[in-house]
Amino acid sequence: MSKQESDADDRAENRNQDTNGYEDIQNGHRESGSAGSERARATGEALVEINELTKTYDPDGAHVVAVEDLDLDIGDNEFVTVLGPSGCGKSTVMECIAGYLEPTEGEVLINGDPVAGPDPSRGVVFQSNRLFPWKTIGQNARFGPQMRNDVDDERIQQLLDDTGLTGFEDSYPHELSGGMQQRAELVRLLANDPEVMLMDEPFSGLDAMTKELMQEMLLDIWEEEDRTVLFITHDVAEAIFLADRVVVMTARPGQIKDVIDVDIDRPRDSSVLTSEAFNEYQERASDLIHDEAERAMEQKQQETQEA
Amino acid sequence: MSTRDHVLGIDRRRLLGREVPLPPRGVRWAMSVAAFFTFWWAAVEFGFLGFGRFVGPVDTLIAIYGYLAGEPVAGGNQSIYIHAAYSTFRVVAGVGLAALTAIPLGLLIGLSTKAGTGIEWNNYLYPGLESLRPIPPVAWVPASILLFPIVPVLGFSINTAVLFVVFIGAFFPILVNTVEGVRNLDDEFRRAAQSLGADSGQVFRHVIFPAALPSILTGVSLGIGLGWITVVAAEIIAGNYGLGYITFQAYRLLQTDVIAVGMVVIGVLGYASSAIVQRVADYATPWSDIETS
Repeated sequence: MSKQESDADDRAENRNQDTNGYEDIQNGHRESGSAGSERARATGEALVEINELTKTYDPDGAHVVAVEDLDLDIGDNEFVTVLGPSGCGKSTVMECIAGYLEPTEGEVLINGDPVAGPDPSRGVVFQSNRLFPWKTIGQNARFGPQMRNDVDDERIQQLLDDTGLTGFEDSYPHELSGGMQQRAELVRLLANDPEVMLMDEPFSGLDAMTKELMQEMLLDIWEEEDRTVLFITHDVAEAIFLADRVVVMTARPGQIKDVIDVDIDRPRDSSVLTSEAFNEYQERASDLIHDEAERAMEQKQQETQEA
Repeated sequence: MSTRDHVLGIDRRRLLGREVPLPPRGVRWAMSVAAFFTFWWAAVEFGFLGFGRFVGPVDTLIAIYGYLAGEPVAGGNQSIYIHAAYSTFRVVAGVGLAALTAIPLGLLIGLSTKAGTGIEWNNYLYPGLESLRPIPPVAWVPASILLFPIVPVLGFSINTAVLFVVFIGAFFPILVNTVEGVRNLDDEFRRAAQSLGADSGQVFRHVIFPAALPSILTGVSLGIGLGWITVVAAEIIAGNYGLGYITFQAYRLLQTDVIAVGMVVIGVLGYASSAIVQRVADYATPWSDIETS
């Protein structure tokens, strides 16, 4: 806990300095003044390092290899999407980074240190909305800072304003629409100022229009706030639209099939979706994932028959 | 159905191809009650089964009026208020004790069922408690009369045997619902809190307890209901005060109006106490109409 506290202090300090000399102090990973229209790709050392990660489950004696020998580096301020068929172990990778699971073999390093349990510097957004239903939107938003008695009301108000949630502070989550709930969960995460945002198919339950708006909003926030994002999805277009790099995973046991560097200018909006470059990336990713999706489906069928 | 009819609360139904307006809700409600009293009156009047020996609705209402004015009941010196107070105290104290023990135990058992939470208390506590659960609470009455004495406290004599039976009746529904409330919480809520920086104490206070609260309150509500069932049964056998006692005493003395009055008062108090618990639960858990599992 004392380590967590000191981490939190460090980050709070960073934020204070940000207001003075923003670019220069950013951990030294980025060159100052490089945040123009052409966004700097992550350079220097990796923030998240996954080395030969293997994770096996043994529920009721059945030996399931969820992830096998996976190597992946995520750079500071990089937006990485992980694209894979359902049940391919992409959530397992995220859970190892978040610290919910211990790797069976291999290691996950954050800034060079092995992950030891969940930590507020690694925020998580889950597939189903996990706002606390017994707390109002306002209470949810300030949950993280409240845990260490460090609530910055101005920042939380700003985040609620930015996401169009002003006036809903006293509502309970179930009184809000799905899109608003997802925005509120994002606010809760950002209020905690995490270094890494881990997002596990956060928009998969939303309708197409809301989803598109949420994606744009996420990109806006990310470009403004300089964060590292690992975003898991099975939606090809979503993966490309958001990412600097798309990591395509195989069916189980989960391995990296290919990595696609997405070279589309930022800031991006929905007009990107109809561009030629986007279509090419989309075709390539679809090809890669098609066979894997088939394999995953066969696996699923086999398991169902066995059970 | 026209808007006007809707506003007036008139619901139209078809009868033999013609639209027939139904009477307003209040009238239908009154008709149902009136029908019940008519059946009761007719059964007594015409001696259906053993009803000829029983009191009719009119005499019951008159008797209720008399006893509410403070007449002593069932050959004793006490008014019905004293007996109602005894029974109510026993339910409140018995269910209260049950809540005070079952909720912490249930939280402990529910928490230790999750993997990686230290000592597995559920393995030490649950089997023993579970083995007592199938025994109907009323079956405890003879044993508790032997085991639990009457204790004088501040001039009142407290029948701990009756208290124990109420306690045991309310204990298990509260325990089981607390355990389930904790177990049913999806792990992701706990994980979300941890990733926001909550330590284990904060996870309990901000996540596990509020998540289990609706289920706990359901348990307390069931416990109160069982409390009224068990208190009446226990007082019939072991009491010398209480609504169960006077109802059975009235049977012995063949005062059928007191039997009926006792039944009505028990029903009213039982209904009132669940309504109170329901109100408290609604107030304490405004979110509880949604799923957390």
